[in-house]
Formats: sequence, structure tokens, C-alpha cells
Amino acid sequence: MITHSKIRCSLRRFPLIGGIAIAAVCAGPTSAHKDPVKPEQLKIYQEVFMEEVRKGDLLFHGDQKMAEQLGVADDLSKTGMACAMCHPMASDTHPQSFPKFQAQIAKFATLRDMINWCIEKPNQGVKIDPESEAMKALEAYITWSNTGSVLQPGKF
Amino acid sequence: MSDELDRIRREMHSVLQPEGVRPDDSLKITRRTFIHGSLVFGAATVGQAFAWWPLLNTLDIAHAAETPFKFAWISDTHLYPRSLNTRFVDKVVRAAQEVQAMDPPADFLIFGGDLAQLGKIEELELGVDLLKEIKIPKHYIPGEHDWYLDMGKKWGELFGQPNWTFDHKGVRFIGLDTVSRGPDYWTAKNMTPEERMGHMATLDGTVAGPWAGVGRDQLDWMEKTLADWDKQRPVVIFSHNPLYEYYPPWNFWVRDWREVHEVLKPYAKVTNIHGHVHQVLYNEIGTLRSIGMLATSWPWPYAPEGLPKLTKPMIRVDPGDPYDGVGWSKLDVAANDQLETEYIMWGRKEVFVQSPEDHDKHVSEVIRPRIADNMWPYR
Repeated sequence: MITHSKIRCSLRRFPLIGGIAIAAVCAGPTSAHKDPVKPEQLKIYQEVFMEEVRKGDLLFHGDQKMAEQLGVADDLSKTGMACAMCHPMASDTHPQSFPKFQAQIAKFATLRDMINWCIEKPNQGVKIDPESEAMKALEAYITWSNTGSVLQPGKF
Repeated sequence: MSDELDRIRREMHSVLQPEGVRPDDSLKITRRTFIHGSLVFGAATVGQAFAWWPLLNTLDIAHAAETPFKFAWISDTHLYPRSLNTRFVDKVVRAAQEVQAMDPPADFLIFGGDLAQLGKIEELELGVDLLKEIKIPKHYIPGEHDWYLDMGKKWGELFGQPNWTFDHKGVRFIGLDTVSRGPDYWTAKNMTPEERMGHMATLDGTVAGPWAGVGRDQLDWMEKTLADWDKQRPVVIFSHNPLYEYYPPWNFWVRDWREVHEVLKPYAKVTNIHGHVHQVLYNEIGTLRSIGMLATSWPWPYAPEGLPKLTKPMIRVDPGDPYDGVGWSKLDVAANDQLETEYIMWGRKEVFVQSPEDHDKHVSEVIRPRIADNMWPYR
């Protein structure tokens, strides 16, 4: 009885956490994330992330082969400009400030919106699919490069 | 600022700037009214707002001009072939037209390096062609983008010796080559000339290393060049890279800046005007003043650390306007012996930050170097 009360109390306090927990039990598989994390799992987890960072780094620096591999070679830039030419080390990209109202776009924008704006305007390219691997790789590199920056969502 | 950089800065100042040592007192920094670049086309004059920063665009040089004169600076055009990028071409055309329209005319133009983006013959020749609009004498120093495809062969054919000196109306001018003495990162890795150039052309690359330097041979040449010059008379040195340490990972320095300052230390009135940084910069080290110039191609954000405290930052630019944050510079040696440096920044009435929000570091950031150029198959 006491146990049930505690659970109800927790669910009232933390409806989101409770919802996720219930969804996880219903959706299964139940054993997927219940074993203690092993070093080899962490290694793979990190490697998957760093591979996306590597791809994004190359795209960001105008690597044509990577752009071709990810199907965006004709899109990212039509002027020879690469992202890194204005943003060395991804500086001044400010991923920590998104989402925010972006003056250039005149709308409430995400980092992906801004990446596409840069592709379309300064680079005079063609917007890429926001859900594409290329976009996720660019996002991975930009955020990785800004590791340590403090979140400041909405900052001008 | 990191502990290491802070240590280096302290060392630099203890060696070069002991108590009471500054650029000569006759080099007064005074206030003046900015004239926006569009004034050439009849637009407004803009007042200078900051009182608490030393103003970097006006230097009084005693014993300077025998007669008043002006000269102009253009750099960092980073030209691609015209078929690929017309914006960069358009901006060089505009700068050339404005320099040519100076009235009274400039005595000469300094081109401060990075005429080309990837060092191609086509790019360098395009630059020469565009700058033909300017009829006054032109003096060129190289940038790394001009050099590392063919190791300066085409640049030398077009412009001759990369370092030079001349005297003009009481001022000794020296052009330095700060780009050609980079350590060999290509031979052991069997890089093609294009690969070598590609690494060199990436500001935040990690492969080319600390390529910016003056070199012992050129230091000796500079020492010899200055040997017969009165130590109280003005010297203006042009270089692609700044002659002090600002941010080595982007080669915003020359690696042998200490030796440079050893050579210049006896001279009381030395001004260094440099490109490469694509931003407004001002610094004083010992008796040397350094002034960073705008690019015509694109602006760079200030480096993550090391911005000289004497720099009044330029305004955060609008990335949607290709004419914002870029331009050229007008240098005016007046009858009262003043050397004035005026930034002609297109697309802006205000060159400098007017509020904290105008600074590109208003959003604080912690960034780190790229990795992909040091991973297989690039290693």
C-alpha cells in the first residue's frame, strides 16, 4: 500500500518521467537498456557520435568527397564558400543560443534553420533536408566543437 | 584567456614593454570623425562614439611627411575564378574604383596578400586584371593563399621580390614576406600541390602548423635595411600576418615575433599594418603599433582568446549582407604630419561596437580545434 502511494506520488510529481517509463515498458524490448553499461558499449556509442562529427567537420570545411557521399555536393555551396571560411572552429555559430528569434530569417528558428539559411544565402546553395544525414552531421560537428559553451537559448 | 597565453603575454610585455616604454609620445592617438565608405557615393558622415577606448584610426607621426600624401590598402580578396564566385570579384571592382576615385589621389596602393583563394594562375591573373583599374603605383606582399600551390612561382612572375623597401616623403616603408617560410608538412605525406594548398587555405586547419614567420634571413635583411635610418624617424612595415602573438592556431601571429621586436626595438616610431585577420585590430608592443585591416572578401570573428585589450572591436556583422564587415583602408599622411588610418567598411555607418550586443563575443563560446583533417586518410 505504501509502495503504491509512493509510485502514485512520483507520477504526480513527474508526469513526464512517468510517461516515458510507461511508454518504455509498453514499447519494449524490455531488456534493451537494463543491463549495466559495459566499456565496449560506451566505446561504440562514442565512436558512432565521433563518426558523425568527422563527417560534419568535413562538410563544414567544404570536403567535396564527403558532400558527394552524403548526396549534398550540389547543394551546400555554389560559390566556393564553405561554412568554416566564416566560422573557423565553428566559432560564431552559437549552437548554444538556439532556438531563438533569428533576425535574418525573421522567425523563431532552430540551429538547423540557420544552417539552411547560411547554405541558401551566403553560400548561395540549395537548402538540404532538415532530417538528412548531412544536416545531422553538420549539427553534430557544430555542437561538438562548441562543447563547453553554456546554453543560452534565445540569446541575441 | 588561457593560463599559457596569459603567461606568454606577460613575458612579452616584461621583455618589450618595461615601465615607461610605449610607442613614441609623438604618436598621439586622437579622435576624428569617421567617414563612411559610401561617402564616396554621397552618403553620411558618422561620429565616433567611444570615449574610453584609444581610437585606432588616427596616428600622429612626428617628422613624417615632407609633403602631405595618401596611400591606400587593399588585401584578402581571396579571388576564385570569376565563373565560380562573382561576389568576390564585384567587391574588388568596387574597392579598386573607390581607390582610383580618391581625391586628392593616393600616392600608391599596398596590396596586403591573399589575392587568390587557392593560388591558381587564373585567380592571380584575375586579381592583376581587376586591380588594373588603379593607375597609381602598386606594391604587393604575398599571402599564404597566393603561395602554396606552386610555392610562389606565379606570384613571383607577376610581382617580383616578395619583400622590399622604399622611402617616400620622409617615411621608410618596408614590405615583409611572412608566408613563404612554413615548415614542410607535405613532402613526407606525398601531398599533391592541391592538397598542400588546401591545408594552407584552411584557417582552422591543424596540418599546416605554425607557417607564419619572418625568418632569420629576412630579419637580417630588415636589420640591414634599417641600419642607415634615423631611429627617430617613422617606419611603416607592411606584412600579411600581425607581427605579434594574437592567436597562433589561426596563424594570427608570426612565430618569430620576439626576434622581429628585437630588430625594431631601437626605432621609436614603427607602425605595422597587416592583413590576414579580416577584422579591425589594434595593438601596441614595445615601440611598435599594429593595425589590422579589413578584407574585401569576408570578415572573420574574433579569435576565441587573445584579442588585444587595446582593440576596440568592430561591429558584429550581418551574414546576409556580403558587403558588411569588409572593405579597404585609406591612409592619409597630412600636412600636420598626421598618419590617419580610415577603415572603409561597406554596408555600415558604425565600424565599431556600440553596445555589448554588437560584439561577436556577446554570446560566450568555448570552442575547440577541428579533428577531421588529422584523421585517416588525411594524416
